[in-house]
Parts: sequence; C-alpha cells; structure tokens
Amino acid sequence: MNTSSLSIALVSLFAALIAVLGLIPKIDLPLGVPITMQTLGVMLAGCMLGPKRALQALALFLAAVAIGLPLLSGGRGGIGMFFAPTSGYLIGWPVGAFVVGWIMHTLPSATPRAAAISAFMASVIGGLLVVHVFGVIGLVNIANLPWEKAIVGTLVFVPGDLIKCALCATVVHTVARGLPDWRFGG
Amino acid sequence: MSSRRNDNLLFKHLHPLSVLTFEAQTQPTANIRLDDVTLRRGHTTVFQSLTLTLNAPRIGLIGDNGAGKSSLFRLICGLDQPQSGHVQLPSVETDHCAPIVGMMFQNPDEQIIFPTVEEELALSLRHLRLSRAEAQTQVRIWLAARGLADWAPRAIGSLSQGQRQHVCWLALLIGNHHTLLLDEPFSSLDLPGQALLRKEIEAAPQQIIVSTHVLDHVRHFERVIWLDKGHVRADGLGLDVCAQYETDVAARMG
Amino acid sequence: MGSLYSDHPTWLHGLSAGLKLLVLALLGAGVFATQALTVLFASAGACVLTFASLGRATKPTQPLLIGLLITSVLIGLFHVYMQQPWLGVVSVLRLLCTTLMGLALTLTTRYTDLLAVLEWLLSPLRFFGMHPERLSLQVALMLRFTEHFFVVWRRLDEAHRLRTGKAGGFKILAPLTIHMLVAARRVADTLHVRFQR
Repeated sequence: MNTSSLSIALVSLFAALIAVLGLIPKIDLPLGVPITMQTLGVMLAGCMLGPKRALQALALFLAAVAIGLPLLSGGRGGIGMFFAPTSGYLIGWPVGAFVVGWIMHTLPSATPRAAAISAFMASVIGGLLVVHVFGVIGLVNIANLPWEKAIVGTLVFVPGDLIKCALCATVVHTVARGLPDWRFGG
Repeated sequence: MSSRRNDNLLFKHLHPLSVLTFEAQTQPTANIRLDDVTLRRGHTTVFQSLTLTLNAPRIGLIGDNGAGKSSLFRLICGLDQPQSGHVQLPSVETDHCAPIVGMMFQNPDEQIIFPTVEEELALSLRHLRLSRAEAQTQVRIWLAARGLADWAPRAIGSLSQGQRQHVCWLALLIGNHHTLLLDEPFSSLDLPGQALLRKEIEAAPQQIIVSTHVLDHVRHFERVIWLDKGHVRADGLGLDVCAQYETDVAARMG
Repeated sequence: MGSLYSDHPTWLHGLSAGLKLLVLALLGAGVFATQALTVLFASAGACVLTFASLGRATKPTQPLLIGLLITSVLIGLFHVYMQQPWLGVVSVLRLLCTTLMGLALTLTTRYTDLLAVLEWLLSPLRFFGMHPERLSLQVALMLRFTEHFFVVWRRLDEAHRLRTGKAGGFKILAPLTIHMLVAARRVADTLHVRFQR
C-alpha cells in the first residue's frame, strides 16, 4: 500500500465527510439551541486519521470554503466566512482536529471500549475546548465583545458539543468493531 | 516542457484517427512477463514461483474467487510487490509517456476522481504536461470524434452506473496505455452495456486482459488463462479453456 | 453541487483572481488596523457601492445579506446595551466592509482560478516537503466524494427505513464512516495506478 496515495485519499475523503455533515440540516434542541454537525467531523477526523492527516483534512476543507465552495452548513462559503464573528471557530477546527488526533494517538485504543473512551476524551479536549477557545478569541477580536460575554455566549453551545463528543465515541466504537485493524490516531 | 514541443506528440497522439489506429510514439520492446514470482499476503501464499508471459492482444483471465485474478492484476500494475521474482513490463523509449498499464477496477464509484467527465479524462493526459485549458480542449476534441461531445461538461453524479463505468473506460482509452487490465468489467452492466463494452474491447488498439466470471465474453479470445489457487490450471484457446473450467465447476457441483 | 460563482458578467469578473484577493487582503488588514470612524464609514460606503454595482449577480446572496444585517443589528444593540455604542459602530462597519467584499470576490471569481492563486501562494511550502500542486487534485477528489457520500448516506437511510420503519439519523454515521475508510484504500489504489506515485 502506497502511503502517499493513501494519505491523499484519506485527507480528501474526510474533508468530503465534513462537507457532507454540513449538508445535513441544523437540528434544534429544546430551548432553541442549534446543533450543527460539522464539529463532529472535526472530532472524527482527529480520531480516525491522527494529528497530521486530520490537520490536512481540515486545512483542505477550509481552503475549499475560502475559494467559494458552499460547504459550511447552510450552504455558506467564500472568503467572507473568515471575516465573520464566528470565524474564530473555523480557525479552531484544524487546530482542534490536530489536538484530537494527537490525544487519540497517545491514549490506548486497543479494544473498542478503550478506543471509545479515548475518543470521548480527545473530542472533549480537542473538539470542544480548543475550538471554543479559538471561537472566543475570534468573537473578542472581530465582534469586539468583552471576554466574559463571549465566554458566556460560547457556553451555550457546550451541551450540544458534548453530545457530539459522545456521538464521536459511539462511531469510533462501531468502527473499531467493524475494522479491527484500524489504527486510531494514525 | 513547452507546449510547442508537445505539438507533434499531441497531434499524433490525439488526431481523431488515432482512436481507430494505434499510433505509438515508439514500439514497446517486450511483453508483460512474470518471472518466478512469489507473492505472500499475511499467512497466505497467493502465488508460488509463477512464471507467465502475456503476449497475446486479447487475454481472458478466469477462475474461482480467491484464485488470484485480482492479485495478478495488482502485481502487474505495481500495487503489490512480489516477495521474490520479477514483474517485467514492456519498455517504451519516449519521455512524457503514459503509464504502461492502465486498470479498470470493479466499482466505478471508487475510481473516478474528478467531479466532471472532462476533468476525469483530462487526468489521463497528465503525462503530456499540458495546461488545464489545453488538456480540456483535447478531451473535448477526442470526445467529439467519438460522438460524445455533450458528455464533456457533465457531472459524474448525474450519470447512471453504466455511464460511469463507460467514463472509466474512456479514461483508459484516452490514456494511450500499452496494456489495459479490466477487473470484472461486465459485472454491473445491463445487457446493452455489456454488448457495447464487448464491441469497444474488440475495436481497441491496446493489449487488453479481461478478468471475468461471464465466460461468454472471453470465449472467443485467442488466449484464456484459468487460475486456480495461484497456479495456472489451463492456458490456451478461449474455447478450450472455458469449456475445461465449466466442466470442472459442473463436476464440483456434483 | 455548484459553487457560489455567478454567471452574470460584471466588471469584477474581468479582473484577475490574484488582484482581487490582494485588494481584499489589504482591505481586511486596513479596516482592522484603524478605529477612525471617518475612515471606516468611507470604506463601508465604497464597499456597499462596489457590491451594489454588481447588479443582478448579487441576487442569490440575499439570504446571506439578511444574515449579515441581522448580525450587524445584534452587535449594534449589544454594544448600545454595554454603553459603548461607538465600538459597536466600528465592529459593524468592519463587518460590512469585509463581508461584502468577500462576497463580491466569491461571486465574480471562478473557484478554479482562486485555487490556482492559492497553490501559487503555498508554493514556498515545497521547502517543507509539502506538495501545493496536489491541492487541485484534493479539492476535486473532495467534491467528487461529497456527492458520492451523500448518495451513500441516502441509500443507507433507505435501507434503515425499510428494515425499521424509521429514519436512520446518526446511526448511519458509523456505517458511512466505515464505507468511506474502505473506499479510501481503493481510491488510493487508483491514484497509485494513474499517478504512478
């Protein structure tokens, strides 16, 4: 198996997965808190591909958005997305994916159960914490919100994101059973 | 690497007539040959000291699943390396030449890389080092010569399964390879699709090796190889070898 | 799946992708470097005029413009509430400039042209062992498989409905991921055979 070709394929296919997750309409929890699925793609990419390829997958995805492809949920795209107040979250995605991948690589994943637990922890730290930190920085700098307000604002989305972390762990568990040879975390 | 230098190659390569008569830049010097090849995968020995020369213009490859047909193809394309022995490909002397061997995998959805037909076919011209616009122009000319001009801008997603497989075939044809390997190309085609592919295979100028379970498509080939657990069980005229295989299967079924 | 590019020809369509990208980058840097209201108002005015000059090409962006308007109003109201209205005005003006010009770029530039500029910009990365020219291939591969996986998602969903009577929802995500990981091996084979890498 040629690793260079496999890298190209995995990076592009996972970028496609993130785009597909954007095509799925937003789900509204009670209290009107929206869940968009794309951060789930960030977590999955990190868990499945490991830090380096996950970073590349997200970088590819963002490059495609930047050149005008409508891949963000709601059919949004174009370089304007990177000037919006929520662009901090976008920048957080590749970093978050890298962190998820790195943690997943470090933690045990020999059995499906271990892999799922590691995936959950990696997703919480990389997919939730890191992304929200970048999101808050973005809100403060672009929308000029004060720190406390930005943090409160971002906390609204944490319950939805925790659900996504659990979902990611579930998917990892199923993949571990279906593809027992897969090396999580790359 | 200027396009001027490519003009002669281009004209010879893509003149509409070349669709019907094979214009090779130079003549290849040998055939595909396997010398004493041993291939192991994990604990299984796929081939043991296999020696084979593939010199007929049309070769059929038949046998049970797991006999090694796909593995043989993978060896020839370079996807797998043998543990011992040597896979020899024909040598061609020009630079800027296409890969010697082209392969069509079973599922068109897993091998089409680009979202539109013309981009996918343009990829096969990559060895000519044209600009994107030049490559797409050449693709359009080539498609028009085959009466498929309206296919060029179409999105792969809008094509039927059979049409997508035809795109894979076109991408192989335009690529100017020496040999084409077709892995179970008839399996997902309807009857008209099978008839069309059979006609195209007959007309194509390249050497073609077809692996199939539908024996009628290779029965008329001058050479068919029956692979059984990594060994050549029979090798000869299509009519004879197919009949031997069919007899063997009938006997096994009781 | 299309891009956000508009086929209605405008004067911006004729300018090169690199030039437009450069102007946008300078504009973006400029509006964030200053808090002078006069400068920002002038820029915003120029941006609105430029965007409006695109005429019919802007029609499909109406939902995005409405979103922009709502965000601006919210930011403005919020800063009024925090008793620092001028900060709100600064934010809104910056947002207007960059979003409108970003949209103008997206509407009037083919994504393949932007891709070429992007590859050129990333070419120094070759020294770090990366391959920027692969970017077009990877974008194309990504687009091709976005469509394909959406079709697979629907197929898995139908299979689920047939067997359980309910929509698949998130239960389908795992099988889709497995399907994709398996496809990756085959796609890698194809890449290897056609690129000889």
